[in-house]
Amino acid sequence: MTTTPEKADKKDKESGLLRKGSSSKKPLKEKVVQIYESFFKGEDPSLGNPNFWDEFFLMKANVAYIEKAFSKMTPEQLVALKDNINLLCHRCILTLKEDYQIRVVNALQTMCALIRGVYGKSLGDYGFDIINILVGFDAAEVQMQRLIESVHSILTGDNPAGLKTLSLKLLLILVTATDNVSQNTILEYIMINSVFESVVQILANPMSRQVHGHDALLLLTILVNYRKYESVNPYIVKLSILDDELALNGLGWVISSALTEFNRKYKEKKEEPQSGWLSSITSMVGNIFVGDSDSVSAKVRTNDSILLALYEAVHLNRNFITVLTTSHTETSSGPSSPTTTRAVEGTREDELGPQADQQGGEAVQGPLPSTPPPDSSQTTNHMVTFLQYCSIVMQDIKDEQRLCSFKLCLVILTCIAEDQYANSFLHDANMNFVVHLYRMPMRHRKIAVPNTSSRPLACAWLDLTVEFIVTHMMKDFPMELYMRCLGIVHRLLCYQKKCRVRLQYTWKDLWTALINLVKFMIAQEAHLASRHNIFYLAIKVVNLFNLFITYGDTFLPSPTSYDELYYEVIRMHTVFDNLYSMALRHATNHGEHKDSATRLTNALVNIRAIVNHFTPKIDSWSAANHLSSLTEDQVLEVVRSNYDTLTLKLQESLDQYERYAEKPKESAFFTQLVRSIISDFRKSISVATLQQETVLQEFSHIH
Amino acid sequence: MADVREQDCPKKLPAVTKETQHDNTSQNNNRHSEENHQSAQQIAKSSLAQNSGDSDNPSKTGSIEESVTCQCGGDPTNQEVVQANGAEFSAKKATNLHLELDLATAIINKHKESTRHSRSKEDAVPSPKQSWLLRLFESKMFDMSIAISYLYNSKEPGVQAYIGNKMFSFIEEDVDFYLPQLLNMYIHMGEDMADALHPYIVARCRGGINFSLQSSWLLGAFSADARRHSRGIKLRKLILSEELRPVRTKREVLRLPSPTSPTTSPTKRTHQRSRSDFAAAALPSIKRSNSISKVTTGDLTTGRAFDSGCTCFDSSMGVMNDLFGKPTECVCNAPRLQPMREFINALMAIGSRLQGLATRELRTSRLYAELSLLNLNLPARVWLPCHPPQHHVVRIPHSAAVVLNSKDKAPYLIYVEVLECENANTCPVPTKILENTLRYTRSEENLQEYFNSDSPVHAFTVHPNFDQDDDCWSQDDIDLQLQYGDTQLELDRDEHDETVQSSPGIVSSDEDTKTDEAKPTQKKIGYYNQKSVSSDSVSQFSIESSTSNDSREPQYIAAADVRRRLSENLTTPPTKFKRDPEDPSAAALKEPWEDKVRRIRATSPYGHFPNWRLLSVIIKCGDDLRQELLAFQVLKQLQNIWKEEHVPLWVRPYHIIVTSADNGMIEPVLNAVSLHQIKKHSQLSLFNYFLREFGDTNSEEFLTAQKNFVQSSAAYSLVSYLLQVKDRHNGNILLDMEGHVIHIDFGFILSSSPRNLGFESSPFKLTHEFVEVMGGLNGDMFKYYKILMLQGFIAARKHMDKVVQLIEIMQTGSQLPCFKNGVSTVRGLRDRFHMNLTEEQLQLYVDSMVESSIHSLTTKLYDGFQYITNGIF
Repeated sequence: MTTTPEKADKKDKESGLLRKGSSSKKPLKEKVVQIYESFFKGEDPSLGNPNFWDEFFLMKANVAYIEKAFSKMTPEQLVALKDNINLLCHRCILTLKEDYQIRVVNALQTMCALIRGVYGKSLGDYGFDIINILVGFDAAEVQMQRLIESVHSILTGDNPAGLKTLSLKLLLILVTATDNVSQNTILEYIMINSVFESVVQILANPMSRQVHGHDALLLLTILVNYRKYESVNPYIVKLSILDDELALNGLGWVISSALTEFNRKYKEKKEEPQSGWLSSITSMVGNIFVGDSDSVSAKVRTNDSILLALYEAVHLNRNFITVLTTSHTETSSGPSSPTTTRAVEGTREDELGPQADQQGGEAVQGPLPSTPPPDSSQTTNHMVTFLQYCSIVMQDIKDEQRLCSFKLCLVILTCIAEDQYANSFLHDANMNFVVHLYRMPMRHRKIAVPNTSSRPLACAWLDLTVEFIVTHMMKDFPMELYMRCLGIVHRLLCYQKKCRVRLQYTWKDLWTALINLVKFMIAQEAHLASRHNIFYLAIKVVNLFNLFITYGDTFLPSPTSYDELYYEVIRMHTVFDNLYSMALRHATNHGEHKDSATRLTNALVNIRAIVNHFTPKIDSWSAANHLSSLTEDQVLEVVRSNYDTLTLKLQESLDQYERYAEKPKESAFFTQLVRSIISDFRKSISVATLQQETVLQEFSHIH
Repeated sequence: MADVREQDCPKKLPAVTKETQHDNTSQNNNRHSEENHQSAQQIAKSSLAQNSGDSDNPSKTGSIEESVTCQCGGDPTNQEVVQANGAEFSAKKATNLHLELDLATAIINKHKESTRHSRSKEDAVPSPKQSWLLRLFESKMFDMSIAISYLYNSKEPGVQAYIGNKMFSFIEEDVDFYLPQLLNMYIHMGEDMADALHPYIVARCRGGINFSLQSSWLLGAFSADARRHSRGIKLRKLILSEELRPVRTKREVLRLPSPTSPTTSPTKRTHQRSRSDFAAAALPSIKRSNSISKVTTGDLTTGRAFDSGCTCFDSSMGVMNDLFGKPTECVCNAPRLQPMREFINALMAIGSRLQGLATRELRTSRLYAELSLLNLNLPARVWLPCHPPQHHVVRIPHSAAVVLNSKDKAPYLIYVEVLECENANTCPVPTKILENTLRYTRSEENLQEYFNSDSPVHAFTVHPNFDQDDDCWSQDDIDLQLQYGDTQLELDRDEHDETVQSSPGIVSSDEDTKTDEAKPTQKKIGYYNQKSVSSDSVSQFSIESSTSNDSREPQYIAAADVRRRLSENLTTPPTKFKRDPEDPSAAALKEPWEDKVRRIRATSPYGHFPNWRLLSVIIKCGDDLRQELLAFQVLKQLQNIWKEEHVPLWVRPYHIIVTSADNGMIEPVLNAVSLHQIKKHSQLSLFNYFLREFGDTNSEEFLTAQKNFVQSSAAYSLVSYLLQVKDRHNGNILLDMEGHVIHIDFGFILSSSPRNLGFESSPFKLTHEFVEVMGGLNGDMFKYYKILMLQGFIAARKHMDKVVQLIEIMQTGSQLPCFKNGVSTVRGLRDRFHMNLTEEQLQLYVDSMVESSIHSLTTKLYDGFQYITNGIF
């Protein structure tokens, strides 16, 4: 930038060169392509021309041509070209250190093309070594160190956004070169020469994270997953101990803005059928950008990388929980995604009310609560966004891909639920939020008025789990998800019990959902028992009830809620009776689930005691009062007056759970997930996107 | 201190010596008001009588002596300063006074100093009258209060200049008390006055950042309605230009910076080290120069909004000073005031953003969000201006902040964690510690998981680490308990454990914490059990323990017990208010301060520092606090008077920081809630509330509280009467934990009242409820109340001038509503002191005031009016 006149000279000379080349024989062959050709023929055009490389990198790189050339090559040809490829790489890496940005851009593009070309070749045949062909074994260490250093200084320096994007893309191409990231041996050099600091700097800067945040995060996520279970991965260490608050905030912001964007698109799509022309136009505009009519499911896929990043951050970094818990305004962490017109502050409230009512009235199916558009005055929190996201993802888990996503969501929730700090925040009566959870349209469900008052976040968590329990009793029973879901409820209850937090929550919703789940399991016994050990799940349900029954005094909001618990149990006593007889049947018939069935019968002790204790009391009371059926109040009255004679058995370890551990149970899941994320990225990045970066040339020229 | 002295002295001498060269014969004393003249004479006489022995060496002149010697020392830089200051003065001085001659000669006679002044010595012919005034000025009696009144009343530039110089010898705190008056005079009382005060203000601004800030704020506030180029604005600009720095001798300047640091270059802009610069420097192989050096100050998202860019503390000198515990003076010319100004601006900006939100709930959540953003930029070299600058703000626990009850304005209360230090400007800023202090988080354990191979041998070597983690875990338990402030928790837990006695072998988490130190081995076993078995097998344990009845006794509990405990736990302790989203401040303010401190300390990452303190402040945005400031001064003055006169009246003046004409900060009164909140949340009469809070009428607590109530009521009744404090509804009257009544909100005083409805015609607010607490109309305490009022009245009357001058000076040029009746405001105030009444008459007068206040219909009407319009009980 400082040496403009000199450069202008060169530029002139170069264009002259080009013109000369193009005017001679083949009119359509670029000069650069001629040079490529001679390289791929095994010649070295640079010999005897000291200015060759300076001029070469001033020419616009032709990524498409290089890739095509590679695709035509046979492996033998490729091996034969090793020296030339080494030379090109070497020169690219040297050029990255230069100040003149056009050369740097071209070098980056050439480098990208070379890597893609070489890796694309080697896919079928792991026999010959990519590192050797690309940079040469002898020089690899030095070359890669240089490369990383240059990329680092490009990323952290004051450079045009396009340049940074391109260097991030280079790194991404490198780390996604193989399907299985752990087999990508070249990453060892990135392990030695860390790019972690560059990523952190990108995330820490509110400006750069808007542009590069997503790429940087993807890079980090993949690097963290490199040989995760086998060796010491410095990125895991560094991410674990990262305590740069700004970077952590940036990380949270990038994740949350991606999720917010998804939520917004989903909402637009959902509203499309029933709303007016305005929103249809906006969604049309949205579709232009998305370029896919089925934008929702398409979007879930790309969000897996974001979810994985969230998971790694939550799982590895203890400070990240703080980021999740801090509330922020939409504007405070950076300008939000471009949205439609913004309502004037102040009038927001009035507007929202009738609108929501209207929707509830007319829309039989479809999302009931509408997420308000991100408003500058809105206070929100990453957790709120994530919960909303979860509620969308879980709507259609028949799709294998979405099932995976939702499983990851639940794993993340489990991890968060095990964190004390997060729990103290979730249950903080001072920290109230409005969470608009999407509810699945169901035929046999009343349109309940969604709870839009602001409450501690733990309430929204419970709502989410209740919603899942209620809406996923299907033939293709997602047993694992149910286990995770109940595990989350269990973790919350354990925290409440330990810290004596009395959450103002209508527990009855949860109880009803759990009882319905048991009911479903009994009804589908024949179908389910052959595939899953439904007794595990049943034990989990019953133990949740046991927690309420024996430790309700420590966390229930009021004495009447304890009475209501008894009322529900008594009211639905046939369900528990049936469960007991089913368990007994399996326990005695020496089936495969004998042990767990026996444990279930034991777990049911208290519920059965309650049923057996109160049912005769209620019967005799109704007989004495000559009533055929009793009202709820009357039953509650009977319950209240008969506690004294009921003895409960204290079951141990109700308030303990196994801590989540990724290894060994989930490692296969995550390996697979990383694989799919990598293949997604490879599909999305094309020659065109790399070539597009040439726009940058004009940009940097103006500078 | 020595520094300041050196700078002070040259400014005084030229003022005196130059003027001595002029001849002038005009008399000055006859221009003084009769009254002041008299009193001055009286005091002068008395001081003569008393201090004849001391007169040879009055302490106040000490500095002048110093100044003379130091002038003769001939330090070259001092000479420069002298010239500079001399130039400031030489611009005017058309007239001059004998008095000044006297003063100069007197000084010179006393010190028998240099021959330079010999001419003026010969000229000196002091008349007796003038020497009295001089003697007064030099006597021990001459304090800031007298100085300020002479400054105000004297129209003679000489007297003003003398007092301006004299102020250098006063204790800084004494002068600071009158800072609003000084600055108001500076702005509104003519060129001479400004000239007299200018050197002092400038010198102090050079010395102290806090003084600079206060002055700039007050100047801005008092010249809010002045023209753009007025004196006040000019001075404010001068202060904010950051040019007023401690003057350094050339030798010092040369000695200070090391050549390696970039701090020596003259312009200050270039020193704003940007983060990327620094980071780049730290990396070995960066070739691209970073041309950007964006100034990050003020941008909250950068995390360095309150960073002036000063590098002195990072320099080797700074590090060394830190190691030796020595203060580091900033020499890098980084802006000194900017961090604080940005901090205050940020707080005010939050206030103005809150105003746009409709409900209190929205405001609250927005406040949390804004504060957590602010937290990103802390710790920083900022402090709360209502406290001395001996601390750094390290964190604002955002969820402890509350939005206060106000309809359109959105004042809010924040608690601020600070680390104390000797001087905020010379001590290094504490380093950042991240929020999450609870150790039971995932990362650490997971790391071990990643780094220890699965071989069992390895697992054993990390054994002590696991153990350590476990200890911390139990620490968390305690933290959590503290956090929830549930003192009953322990008791409950014990109770629970008695019934829930877990069987041996399985260690429940509860027991784990309790047997921590006692049974480490057992805990380890328990831990490993827990770790090794899966959840299913854990529950299997319990099942097995219940199935194999032969080996263990099953535990039983009664359902009735569970429910009983539930209802018992829920009867909230009466001392707490329930959280109410519409009135979040009630619960927050009701929580005893010590509890709050403990609770916040337990959750704070900085809580373990011994110098950790919790402070609080109310941010008022959009409110004019200038009147509040005046009220504070009057209250403080009365408090001093009553202390001096040994009258046990109790007031609680709370600090006010005026940051502009419509912004400011208030020091919250700790451990106090408003009568309105008491009534609303407890649904009790005041008397019954007293019974509930302090116990039976014969208990010591009650009697103490009653005494406090009476002493404070009497004091505030007097204040209400003297200042004509209006708008006395129950939301503006607080009751603290010891039973003291504290009045807040002095928005309507002297001649203004809310909406001019003419309510509240009674002298002060004294409801039957108050009297009931005092034990009824015939009770001893009620009589005591009246006696206290009389005593307080007499004491206040004795020192009337001290009170009146505060207000009188502030009236000059003021547009405040309390002065809207003009001159009659001060006259009315003076009249209310009833100087003409004998003590008996005064007693009768007090009695009649009390009588009319009790039976005042308007008080009741006003309370009713407030209830209807604002929902205030």
